[in-house]
Formats: sequence, structure tokens, C-alpha cells
Amino acid sequence: MSDLQKRWAKAKMSNALHAMATPPVPEFNEFDEDRYGSGLVANTPQDDDSSSASSVSSTGTVIPSPGRALFARPQGFPGRSLDPIPWTTYFERELFLPAEDGSITYHAYLTSPAPSAGPGKSPGPLFVTHHGAGSSGLSFAVLSSEIRKRLPSAGILSLDARGHGLTTTTSSAANGVEGGGPEREREDLTLATLASDLLSVISLTKTAMHWPSLPPIILVGHSLGGAVVTELACSLATTSSSSNKPAQQQTGSVPLPVSGSGQLVDLDLDLLGYAVLDVVEGSAMDALQSMHAYLATRPAGFDSLRDAVEWHVRSRTVRNAVSARASVPGLLVHSSSSQSQSQSPTQAQSRTQGQEGGGETPGGGDGGQDGADMEEKKREEFPVAGVNGGTRGKGGSSKPWRWRTDLAKTQPFWEGWFGGLSKKFLSGRGGKMLLLAGTDRLDTELTIGQMQGKYALQVFPEAGHFIHEDLPEKTAIALVDFHRRNDRSALVLPPKVSEMLAQGKRV
Amino acid sequence: MSDLDRWIAQLRACRPIAESEVRELCHKARELLIEEGNVVTINAPVTICGDIHGQFHDLMELFRVGGDVPDTNYLFMGDFVDRGFYSLESFLLLLCLKVRYPDRMTLIRGNHESRQITTVYGFYDECLRKYGSANVWRYCCDVFDYLALGAIVLGASNTVSGQSDDVEIEVHNSDGQVISRFLRQKEGDNNKQGGKTGGTPNGTTTTNGAPPPAQTSSPPTLTGPPGSGASGSSSGSLGNPAGAVLCVHGGLSPLIDKVDKIRLLDRKQEVPHEGAMCDLLWSDPDEIDGWGLSPRGAGFLFGADIVKVFNHRNDLSLIARAHQLVMEGFKEMFDASIVTVWSAPNYCYRCGNVAALLELSEDESGLGVLARSNGDVNRSDGGVGAAGAAAGAGPRSGVLMEGDLLARRTGPARKYRVFQAAPQDSRGMPAKKPVADYFL
Repeated sequence: MSDLQKRWAKAKMSNALHAMATPPVPEFNEFDEDRYGSGLVANTPQDDDSSSASSVSSTGTVIPSPGRALFARPQGFPGRSLDPIPWTTYFERELFLPAEDGSITYHAYLTSPAPSAGPGKSPGPLFVTHHGAGSSGLSFAVLSSEIRKRLPSAGILSLDARGHGLTTTTSSAANGVEGGGPEREREDLTLATLASDLLSVISLTKTAMHWPSLPPIILVGHSLGGAVVTELACSLATTSSSSNKPAQQQTGSVPLPVSGSGQLVDLDLDLLGYAVLDVVEGSAMDALQSMHAYLATRPAGFDSLRDAVEWHVRSRTVRNAVSARASVPGLLVHSSSSQSQSQSPTQAQSRTQGQEGGGETPGGGDGGQDGADMEEKKREEFPVAGVNGGTRGKGGSSKPWRWRTDLAKTQPFWEGWFGGLSKKFLSGRGGKMLLLAGTDRLDTELTIGQMQGKYALQVFPEAGHFIHEDLPEKTAIALVDFHRRNDRSALVLPPKVSEMLAQGKRV
Repeated sequence: MSDLDRWIAQLRACRPIAESEVRELCHKARELLIEEGNVVTINAPVTICGDIHGQFHDLMELFRVGGDVPDTNYLFMGDFVDRGFYSLESFLLLLCLKVRYPDRMTLIRGNHESRQITTVYGFYDECLRKYGSANVWRYCCDVFDYLALGAIVLGASNTVSGQSDDVEIEVHNSDGQVISRFLRQKEGDNNKQGGKTGGTPNGTTTTNGAPPPAQTSSPPTLTGPPGSGASGSSSGSLGNPAGAVLCVHGGLSPLIDKVDKIRLLDRKQEVPHEGAMCDLLWSDPDEIDGWGLSPRGAGFLFGADIVKVFNHRNDLSLIARAHQLVMEGFKEMFDASIVTVWSAPNYCYRCGNVAALLELSEDESGLGVLARSNGDVNRSDGGVGAAGAAAGAGPRSGVLMEGDLLARRTGPARKYRVFQAAPQDSRGMPAKKPVADYFL
């Protein structure tokens, strides 16, 4: 290998490590330091064609390996990179938050909100984001930087739900090398548990960051996450209205966070509002039937993270390459490696080089691309597709990168996630916003609610299901605007008539 | 004008007219609308309609129930397009009728008459589907910019035609049968509604198996007209000459304290995201005190105090507005000082609501002075003196006291016609889009 190639391999390797958010930080060489270490939002990768602006990606695209150059067909996206983008590009830090009873260690990405500039001024808002089933906290990575561009004082807390990302329950953590797979199947993914997890993460973050009080919060949930934030917003409304006595907090539909009741009481959640991304009870329930067929069409594994990113972009699952590069690595885990949190650089390096070897076998790379093409077509004529999906799945079994979360195994929870969602969405306290990828997704209850003016609806017809990844900029604009409207510190309404009368004014 | 009549006939058959004809129609409409003020003044009798939302067959049903044009004067309060499958035919037909019978047809702008909203909620796609290009959509949007923002109805009678003086509200079904009647509350009768004429509370005649209304023994218990199931405070108001009725799509704006301020707006533009023009098209009344944040993301919520002060200051007896789906078709709020009229039955072909029209009849008594609400007569005292004197309601000081706020204003007699969705013609409906395949 030439020196150049080695450098490229190293860069690729450390990308992968970053993407998996592995602490402790693997050893960097100077070359890497230059590229990743510093700026947060400042040098976020730009969309697609301008990728030469991103030094990370340019290393990848400019110098393809000889194997690929010979046998693989030209990149589907000329001039674009499909290399993973590390989370450090988007978030200030990651947090591992062990619950007090030790049953679970939450993992979350955080960019802190700006503290209040002075007395009387409220701190920047904290957008707390919850991803959908099978996704991870990195789903909101690009969105977070877009929000920060428009509202620099905002913070973003994006957690990995249990069974997803790098959040580990003790049972799976104890299993260590064997991997979380079998254990994850037994995760308790009921809505109530997920909502209480979300509350715990907020409270644990406050403790870990030594915040004297919580900043005003806007909950953002995508898909399953939308159901979770709605559940939490609803239960906050009921608990706070029924009583604020600690003992009676127990009656809320959300179980207390494992960290103990005392903390919950202290947790005076200033909830400005909640936003739900592309999930509606009616259409979600309809879609559940075809979920297994859809899942069967997904490849079971990928040769590399790069392949995975490419599949997501080609199949239009995620329609924005930058978003896919940031979020997809969080969805996958290398099957030969352990589930343990730290992978030694040597391990990773050998794997990266192994990939290189794989690239030299023409069948490997080429087949993957054909497969991606097929996936794309199948998705068009869905749900007839799926027959091929099985063979795809088998073919993929030899591939090292596997899904972290086995979605099919979460089926017992599906109906519980979405049942009653519309009603809860309308009844929660605080501002409500629904972002959809199409108006046809509204069910009757929300259609009536919308026409009675009970919530704000934003529709982005050009987006797919992952609205915030497909259109991070537009979603950020909508969210920042949603915050602006619901920001009580800035809100000045005209005086009430009764007040004017009390002041003896003529009205 | 034979072209126009031909277009009307064609559109009534729910067949779109050619692109060049749309262009000509829109051009004519614009010439007409540009002459109108932001607030159009019209005289009773008039039939006031709320949202249509492209439900063409229900619009035909509306004309059947309310009477055909030009025999009946109509005022449509916006939201002609989007959501339904025939936005194009519905809007073009209304526009044709406007051009053909300019003084019998009034169209004002709704929040859906906007480029931004129509691109998302269906009208744009429909134009693209039916013409293969966005030109027609562009012509229509240009017309939207010229639509008036509100209307003032003058000369409404305070008796329902053909009835005795006592009837204030009459609710009809779609076949013209009376479902219920509400008697006007006599002066000094404010809190004794139960003791009024007739054996039934509120003096209501109930037919069609509609349940008798709940007894309203105390003012806070708000009941609407029985049979409609509407809730509201439409329990009648004091009888004296009717003031004017302001019609607007959404509601009030904190930036607008006088109707005249609406007249000062520059309306010939896309609906802005905020400001007075936006509020007029987006706001909603709500059971709050003062102004509130609208959950819609545009406009405001406003409470009873705001409406009463506004009506008093502008010598209005009623605000008629649309914008909000009401399952019962109409809903009177705040001591009948504001009413929501909704004219899209079974909204989106699935909401299961009924629709309503509001008929205001012409004052034929020749009695009383029309209380002009344009702000052009005797406005120095806020109109209070003139209206009060005309009504013989005793002297009022210029300073409005708390008690005055509670005083009931005059209301014109209101006849509501409630109707159901037309039997749905399923031809031409786009197939339901397949469900999203990934939804977890």
C-alpha cells in the first residue's frame, strides 16, 4: 500500500470509530486531529456536491482504492461522499448516564443551551429529541446543527432509547462479548417505560451537567419518538394538574424515573411545547400490517458503513446524503466485534483493512450495488415486493455490519405505541406541532383537530418518513419558529380588557 | 356575456373550463375585485356561507338548500379551495358567478386562498393534475390577492321573515322544515329565560325528534339551539334595531380596533405570516380572557371581552366568521356576539359533521335608523350615543363601564339552514395513496 492509501485507511477507520461514538477516544494521529477535533457547527459538512468543502469526505472520494476503481461501477453520486460523519461534528459531548438502580445506562448526545445572559433573561431552550424505532440519537445530528445556526442559544439533547444506539441495559452489558442481540429482544419497550426513560435522561442530564435548573424544554419526537414525547407531555399535564405532592406523583401514567421520586419533584419541567414528526395514529396503525413485508426488503447486513449509507440514500430511506452519513453508522454494529463500548484501534484497523481486501473481490462491491438498485425498485412497487427480500436477507447474513435493533422483534409493542396517540396529542399541555410528509397521513381525529385550530400543522410533501433527516433545514426553521411562538419570556400579548378597566382606562 | 353563461353551465356540471378561459375569467374577476374595498359593504338580505374546501357536490347542495344564484344573494367567507377533490371547479364556479352577478355574490379571502397553503393542501396538485401545468393555479392565486378581507352587512332585520317579532333564531333542516325556534329575549328578562313564553324552555318549538334544550337557569350554562346540538350562548338578545354584521374569515386582530383600520391595509399581496391581515384570516375566538396564543401557529385567540368591546366600538351586533370546523354546522359564542359558520359537510369526506348557512333577512319595517358601522356617522362618541338613543335604551356615558360590557347587544334575526353532505360521487376521486411503508 502506498503511503497515501494507508492514510486513507486510517482516516476511514477513525471515521467509523467516531461514528460509533466509542469512548475512550481512540488514538489520533495528527492528520486526524486536524480534521475532526475542533469546530462544532462551524465546519459541518454541506450538502452533497459541495462535499469538497469537507475535508473528511474529500479524503474518501478523491482517492478510491484500486479495487473499487477497477471493478465497481462509478459511484452513484459523482462528486459526493458516502463516508460516515462522526458525531463530534454535530454535538458538543456525549453522555453516559447510569440510572441510580444501575439497570440501564442511558446514552445521549448533548449540545448545551447558552446560559441565561443575565437576570430576568431566560436561558436558551433545550430541544429534547427522541428518535423512532430502529433509529438512534444521531438521527437528529444534522437537525441539531441547523437549529443552532438559526437559534445559537438553543441546546439539543438527543438520546438513544433503550435497545437502540449505545444505551445499554445491564443485562446486555453484562453479557459483554456475546453481544446485546439476544438481550435486546427482551427489552421492555412499552410506551410508559420509554416515556419514563426520557424523563430520566432529562433529569440525569441536569445532574450530570450541574445545571441549577432546567432550561425551557421543547420535546421533539420522530415516529415512535413522537408517541413517546406525546405520552410524556400528557402525563406531565395530568400529574401537575392533579397535584404536585410527591406522593401523588405516583399516580401519573408515567412511572417514576428510576432515579427516585425526589428528583422528579425537583424536576420542574418548563415544557414550552412538543413537536411530533411524521406519525399519526390512524395511518401508523394502517401501516403496521405491512411493516414485516417492509422489513423483509431491508438488507440484513452490509459490507461496510459506506455500503449502508449508500443503501439508505439509494433506497431513499434517507433522502439527504449528509444526514445519512451522520445517522446511519449509529444504526449498525459490527457483528464480529464485541458489543462492549470500547473497541481497540487495532481491532478496528484490522477490520478496515479487511474491508479493503473485500473491495478487491469484484463480486462483493458490485453485488452490493446491484442489490441497492433492486431495493430501490422494490420500494417503488411496494408492498408486492418482499419475495426477494428473503434472499437478500440470507445473502446479507455473511456481511459484518448488522442492524443494532431487530425491529421485527419489537412487534409486540407496536400497537401499544400508537394506540390513542391522536387523542393524547390533542390533550397534552403546551404548544403542539405536527410535521408530516403528506396531508394524506392525517386521521379523522387530527383532521378535525386541525380544522378547529388545536395545533400547528406543517407539511413537507417532498420529504420521506425521516423528515428531519431529509429536510433538516426546513425542519429546523419550523422548530425554531415553533419555539419563538411559544417562548413565554418573549411573549407580549395585548392587555386584557378587564385589566384596562381596572386601570381606569377607557376601552 | 354568453361565454360566461356557458362557463357557468359547464362548471355546474363539474367540468373544468379550458385554460385560456380560466385566464380570461381571472382577468375579468381581477378587474372587478380591484374596485372593491378591503371591507365590502352589502345590504341584507344575504346568505352567509363558511368554508367550502373544494367539496363541489356539497356546494351544489348548498345552492339547493339556500336557493340558487341570482335569486339569493350570497356571501362566501373564504376557504373555497384545498382538501376536497374539486377545488378548481368550486372556486371557478364561484368566481364565474361573481363576475356574472357582481352585486349578488360576495367572496372574501380565507387563509387557504394563499400560494403557500394551496401548494401543500391540494389545490396546486389538483390544477397540475387537471391541466398539466401550474398556469391555472397561478391565475387563481393572482385572483386570491385581490379578494376582499371582510364584509359589512347592513340593514338586517331583527325579525325572521314571516314570523312574529319575537323570533330571533330559527333553525331549518335542508328541506326547509323548522327544527327549532328561539324567541328574542325581552328587556329586563336577562336572567329569567326559563320563564318566557311557551311551555318549553327558551320558547322553543321542537320538531324532527330533536331533543328539547337543556334548561338554562343561570347565565354561565351555555346552550345552543336544540336539534343542532350546538353549544353556545345563543339564548337570545334584547330586541332593538339590528346593528351591522361584520363578516371575516378568521377573526379579530390585536392590531385592529376599528373596522376602518381594516380598510387601511394593503391587501393585494400573499397572506403574510403575521400582522393584521394574517390575524383576520387566522384567528379564533376562545373561552379566554383577552388575547391568547393561537395553537395554529398563526393569528391569535381572542376572548369574549375582546369581541364585546370590538362590537361595541364599531356598533356591530354580530361578527360572522368561518375558519373552524363545527360539527353542528354553526356555533354562536359570547352571548351571540360572534358566530362560526361552517359550510363543508362531512369535511374531507370523513369528519361526519353537518354544514350550515346563515340567512339574514332584509329589514322591511322601515322603522329605526340604520346604525351604520362604517365609522362615517357620529363616531365621536364611539357610536354609543347614536345607537343608544335610537334604541331608546337610555343614556350611556362615553366611558364604558364593566356593566356595559355585559349588556347584551342587539342581534339581527338569524335563520340557519343545516344540511348534510350530498351523496358522494366517487368518480374522479384520486385513489387513496398507499400507506407509508416505514412508520416506526
